Amino acid sequence: MSVDNLKNKDSNRVVVTDAAVITGLGNNLESLWQGLMANETAIRPITRFPVDQDFYKAKIAAHIDDLEAANNRSMLEHLLDRLVLELGSVPSDSALITATIKAGADNLESFCRGGQANFQDVLLSSIANIVGPKLGLICNGICISASCASSTIAVAHGAALIESGRAEVVLVCCADLITEYHFSGFSALKALSPFPCRPFDRDRKGLSLGEGAAALLLMNADRARRENRNRLGSLLGWGISNDATHITAPAKSGRGLVQAVDQALKTAKRKPEHITAINAHGTGTVYNDLMELNAFRQVFGERKVPMYSIKGAIGHTLGAAGAIEVALGLKALSSRVIPLTVGFANPEKGAEGQVSSESQPVSGDYLLTTNSGFGGVNAALVLGR
Amino acid sequence: MTAASMGCGRDHERFTMPWGPLPEINPSDMFKMPYPNFRRMDKYSRLGLTAIGLALIDAGLSEWTRERKIGIVASTVYGCLETDVDYYKTVIPDRGANASPALFSYTLANSYLGEAAIRFGLTGTNYVLTEQHPTGLAGLQTALDHIIRGDVEQILGGVCDVGCPQIFGKPGIVPPGAVFFMIEKSFARKISSYGELSMDEKGGIIYNGSEIKDIAILVQKCLDGFHHA
Repeated sequence: MSVDNLKNKDSNRVVVTDAAVITGLGNNLESLWQGLMANETAIRPITRFPVDQDFYKAKIAAHIDDLEAANNRSMLEHLLDRLVLELGSVPSDSALITATIKAGADNLESFCRGGQANFQDVLLSSIANIVGPKLGLICNGICISASCASSTIAVAHGAALIESGRAEVVLVCCADLITEYHFSGFSALKALSPFPCRPFDRDRKGLSLGEGAAALLLMNADRARRENRNRLGSLLGWGISNDATHITAPAKSGRGLVQAVDQALKTAKRKPEHITAINAHGTGTVYNDLMELNAFRQVFGERKVPMYSIKGAIGHTLGAAGAIEVALGLKALSSRVIPLTVGFANPEKGAEGQVSSESQPVSGDYLLTTNSGFGGVNAALVLGR
Repeated sequence: MTAASMGCGRDHERFTMPWGPLPEINPSDMFKMPYPNFRRMDKYSRLGLTAIGLALIDAGLSEWTRERKIGIVASTVYGCLETDVDYYKTVIPDRGANASPALFSYTLANSYLGEAAIRFGLTGTNYVLTEQHPTGLAGLQTALDHIIRGDVEQILGGVCDVGCPQIFGKPGIVPPGAVFFMIEKSFARKISSYGELSMDEKGGIIYNGSEIKDIAILVQKCLDGFHHA
């Protein structure tokens, strides 16, 4: 198969026809959207495991209150059950691409404590093992694991499969949970904020953890038309890079993110001036947010592209973050307004006039969404209205 | 890196991937410059990083002065599960007071790819994937896809697994070991190539015109072609 054959056949244009999202702000995309627009946050005191110890400076997270684990299964199964209910019909010939960083980490904890638990839920392949049979999918699913850019890369991989003509339909499905496992680790790295995170605010102190799941149905434009599918928007470009600098800290220069954004724009055949808004990773850690401001300044120059982060509302949902943000980014493009950044009040230097505590109207057709994570990974997507 | 041997393709005529303990890795044999971080890494990262280093040596690309836009895609079944268990065992005794940040840093399946990126200056596409029904070829297939699409000119594709931790009481379904291939879009360097990879309409791997279903068979075919040419 030659490279020329893969280039932008219109019939293989990638459209998103369905999106399901479950977060601390509710069981669907609309409740997340309404919550964001109302400046709500799901970040609240943790009750799932004990956090009263003095060494935990943070005692909050954005969890989904009524998730349950039954019959030795992980809470992941309950979360995915709910997610699947939110989806419309999924063709059985859909390729399945999943994403997570730690799948059923609650079951891993049970094993380590000598308890009984379902082993399959611990594996990275668990989301495919749960979702594939539920939806009657016939293909061999895969799971992308690339820290906090996992589902962003899963979306990119799915779009590439469709664009190359090797799949007509791809279901991207991702999830991550809040567990003591994650909480203690981020706490040990001193990455957690004692108060709900405040992305791009000069008084930010770190991130807040969240949990969630998302499913996106990607389809080539021809098939979507033939099946009379709803069209939420399109995926036009994608780029992935590595900082090659540090395992847990971003490259201060932002060079890795710049490389990923440049590649995404190139794939989308768009220029920086076409981008109307940015969904930033915006974790609320000192170094991540500075890195992003630095990177976007290099890509967009002095132009203040309207930008937001949703992590002040639903926390950092780890491997699920990217796909949740794609669903929300498409909603923002179609609504011609981007959400406010919950928790943002006093702009970090460089964020003035770009990030806002109020929703911002936007008029263009293209939104950039990016995620970066441990291991130096960066991923960027260009979404179209 | 397998239970049978470790090294570069150009130094071996036979390849197998049997079950058994993996050879000890001495970083001073592998890396010219001191590498104190290596001993701090978990077993999975040391295995993957070493195999990537050997593939780069074999391809004549281990030495560098400027970062290269070389990607890495690796498949795994168990990833860093053993490290996950080791980490959580630091959390349990004192309800998190002694949670190890050093171990937590390696509780991501892709951490070692970040280490490889730093050590060898690789800034391209970089992630891990897991198949629902493992074939061992997914990392290489996806790496090849990135080449065909033009995302990168050079990329490493392979597989890395250390096995299933005993705590789960399950036999592993893949032998421990790591194998990486360096693949390039247009080959114009002094070093000789092992052959040509392409992809069929369904995404299957074709090596010098033959369909490949198993990564160990692909390695042996490469060695046969190279040493008996």
